[in-house]
Amino acid sequence: MSNELRPDDLGEVWRRQKVEHTQMTLDEIRARARKFQRRILFRNFREYAAIAVVVVFFGATMGKYPPLMRAAAGLMIAGGLYVGYQLHRRGSAKTLAADLAPASCLDFHRRELERQRDLVLNVWSWYLGPMIPGLAFMVVAAGLANPGHLKHVWRFVSAYSAVVALAFYLVARLNRRAAHRLQRRIDELDAMRG
Amino acid sequence: MAAESSQDDLYRQAAAGFGDALDRLARAYEADADTRRDLLQEIHFALWRSFGGFDGRCSLRTWVYRVAHNAAASHVIRQRRANAAVLVGLEEIEAAPDPNDGPLAAGRREALERLLALIRQLKPLDLQIIFSYLEGLDAASIGEITGLSPGNVATKIHRIKTILTRQFHAGGSHVE
Repeated sequence: MSNELRPDDLGEVWRRQKVEHTQMTLDEIRARARKFQRRILFRNFREYAAIAVVVVFFGATMGKYPPLMRAAAGLMIAGGLYVGYQLHRRGSAKTLAADLAPASCLDFHRRELERQRDLVLNVWSWYLGPMIPGLAFMVVAAGLANPGHLKHVWRFVSAYSAVVALAFYLVARLNRRAAHRLQRRIDELDAMRG
Repeated sequence: MAAESSQDDLYRQAAAGFGDALDRLARAYEADADTRRDLLQEIHFALWRSFGGFDGRCSLRTWVYRVAHNAAASHVIRQRRANAAVLVGLEEIEAAPDPNDGPLAAGRREALERLLALIRQLKPLDLQIIFSYLEGLDAASIGEITGLSPGNVATKIHRIKTILTRQFHAGGSHVE
């Protein structure tokens, strides 16, 4: 004898499927927790190590530079410290999943989309932007410090700056579009909440 | 020490009560057996960690499903980035032409495989609703877990029933 499958029957088919009865012992879980902590520590270390290198390198050598280059090194250090502060403030090294564990699925999706949107939209202002003044000063200072090596130093600086500015502009435009797409998806989720 | 013990107890309780449902949840999200095992361990670990902050604001079942879905959805998002897979919504599946041409001589096992194939192509939120429906949860519980309004849950469930009926009924699907 055979019966046609109805949606409610499918629920029964679903719930009666063979499962593997996977369990983790508490010892296995604790071992995984230790591994997880090590991974977080390594990620934190990686994020701050690059900043530490910038600060230590320019801090240790800036005394040897001419005044303009010294100002550039100072700006690089300030930019690095600012980025470090922002990384700390924004908690980029925190564990998102742990923070959002009790959130409803919709809230979780929404916050994840918001995080991605803010990342593409604001990364310039706090992650890349703070290093630009130092880099720009450094290009100018390097050009002025070696006038013999570069005949048309200002033309070089202008062309270099124009290329960098164009690249920044194009990336910023792509980021804005990505942010708009993400915002549309956030709006869709908000509409579902009713 | 007491907090740790409570965390362990809650995890034990959740694993005992919902272990099989979590297995099915991992199957809904991940087709590859090895990756699925990893995902399931990730879900169990996320659960244990989350119980460090369990405050009883919602039922244990709602908590377990929320944490499990959020962990699994993160997994899907990571996989999608790696594989550039395109996920669709229930609306798109409902509007698409019926992929099953001709009668389907489906036993339970085949029906299950097709069901899984259908579920795995869904966006996380739609997947979470269809999973909860198949697990036998009522609309209010699905709303609590997903955060969707009751009206939206009702609409989605209606859509799910239409899709399931079309996919498993029109072709002459049978249970042996």
